[in-house]
Amino acid sequence: MSSYQIGSAKAEYNADGFKRRETLITQFKNRFSTYGYEQIRTSTFESYDLYSKLNGTVNKDDMVKVIDSSGKVLVMRPDVTIPITRMVAEGGMPEEELRYFYIQDVFRSTASTGTKESTQAGVECLGNNRPETDAEVIMLAIHNLKELGFSNFKIEIGHAGFFKSLIAPAGLNPSEIEQLQSLIQSKNIVEMVPFLEQLSLTEDLREAMQAIPMLYGTPREVMQQISDKLLNEEMHKNLNNLSEIVDILEDYEVGEHIVLNLGLINNMNYYSDIIFQGFVEQVGHPLLMGGRYNHLGDQYGVHLPAIGFAMEVDLLQEALVQKGQISEVTMVPQLIMTYEKSKQKEAFQTAQFLREDGFTVRIFPESSAVTQKPIDIKITLSESVNTITTEEDTQTFRNYQALLDILKQNGGK
Amino acid sequence: MSNITLALAKGRTADSTIHLLKKIGIQFQDFHEDTRKLVFLSEDASIKLIFVKAVDVPTYVEKGAADIGIAGKDNILESQADVYELLDLKIGQCKFVVAGRAGDFPPSKQRLTVASKYPNITEQHFQKKGLDVETVKLNGSVELAPLIGLADVIVDIVETGNTLKENGLEVFEDVENISTRLIVNKASFATKSNDIQLFIKRLTVGLEEEYENHNG
Repeated sequence: MSSYQIGSAKAEYNADGFKRRETLITQFKNRFSTYGYEQIRTSTFESYDLYSKLNGTVNKDDMVKVIDSSGKVLVMRPDVTIPITRMVAEGGMPEEELRYFYIQDVFRSTASTGTKESTQAGVECLGNNRPETDAEVIMLAIHNLKELGFSNFKIEIGHAGFFKSLIAPAGLNPSEIEQLQSLIQSKNIVEMVPFLEQLSLTEDLREAMQAIPMLYGTPREVMQQISDKLLNEEMHKNLNNLSEIVDILEDYEVGEHIVLNLGLINNMNYYSDIIFQGFVEQVGHPLLMGGRYNHLGDQYGVHLPAIGFAMEVDLLQEALVQKGQISEVTMVPQLIMTYEKSKQKEAFQTAQFLREDGFTVRIFPESSAVTQKPIDIKITLSESVNTITTEEDTQTFRNYQALLDILKQNGGK
Repeated sequence: MSNITLALAKGRTADSTIHLLKKIGIQFQDFHEDTRKLVFLSEDASIKLIFVKAVDVPTYVEKGAADIGIAGKDNILESQADVYELLDLKIGQCKFVVAGRAGDFPPSKQRLTVASKYPNITEQHFQKKGLDVETVKLNGSVELAPLIGLADVIVDIVETGNTLKENGLEVFEDVENISTRLIVNKASFATKSNDIQLFIKRLTVGLEEEYENHNG
């Protein structure tokens, strides 16, 4: 009977997993930089009031709370967009647009999943409100997914204004709004019909609510499905805004990845205009989410139009592993050096030289048991002779220069 | 055409669904009711059918192991899966109720103990009413719980109400109507949009015909 190896318990696996993750993060950082974004970080601990005063963002129960020595309640960063907006807003309206990116952990605690930290890689572009900016931010999201090797992925685009202008004239109570939202999010027309019937709504409004979830597909398909009377003036404006952005995206030649989903609702209430989320095959949760939030800055006294998105690094890594698309970590040969006691000083010196030249060296007294991978190179310093053993052969060397020459020939750096 | 994977639970749901699929031209040649095989490919190779346990259908779909699933609303609710719920197949209609010993309503207790096979649905229901209850999860014979004092009331599925009556219980309150639903993975809906929408359209037509035949 063969035994199972529990991957996460093995330090070696953890180290490899960490390397893969770092590769992923480096890739994101480079890509964000090439679009002119600069990295920043926000504090891990935030004042509870910063979040509790804002309605419709992170559920208060889901935040991980900490009490400091003076009895003040703090939360561990449940979101990154809010603190960045506050930070920028406190400096007043920026004179030119600001482009920031971050790689940070966010903390949430729910009854069903427990307390969780997840790493987000995201960007925020603050200080302007142009469809060209919106399109470029979405392009950046697509660029990242493409670079990871996903071929069949979609960015669903919707507009936060649709749901807001649907419920504005309806006069629903908070629990009815919540129920309607979850019915729209699950495209559950079956239950929506009886639900809407028991509310007192105008015929037009009811029809619009029922139609919204199924307005889904390529931009052209969706535009064809929409009849004029379905939407009020505000919604027409929203729709025009979306088609303008979609048109710009066509010139980036990424139209195949765009789907309109007018039933898209983001649980973060601060979104005001375009919202979007990215899906890859087989993963039922969005790997990235974002949108435009033009009024969040108002909370801090500054009109600060902005757009951003965040990618779920852990989910992306899982998706890559699942697809078998994550490359094996390239194994770099290590130099394993053992020495006789009398050669200790020389061995230390050699190891230091090698490390300064960029080699990875692990050094042991002769008597110790050394674990070694086949690709590792073994160097032995003894009283009589110095040897270097590679996969192919064993050679002797007299001084550091000779050792270096052999290593260079071997190409092992 | 890329394959759509359809998750089904064996039993009555599967038989009616396969019957319905046959009507719209999707046939599974080597399927028969006593088969032990768990994976089937339709004749036109457009649909891969997998058989899983009923309670697991929402999980398979949410995790993307299946694109589409056909499952009872009870299991969808209990799993709290984040999926699209697009069609009502109108099979297996019944409802979730709160029931207890006849005449014992409202139970005169500060804090109710509720027994159920569906702890999530139970908690959600009482939370909505603003009641803090203790939930006891059982795996069967839930009707027994109020009789021997394990719980004050139960939350369970009722079709005819006969089982309740025979055990001296009565319905206190309706919670939710249940029937068989078609659910779809959110990523599949985005990435295989055309195939899935076409499939659903065909199924809807088939359902309507069926419905007319029954009532015609």
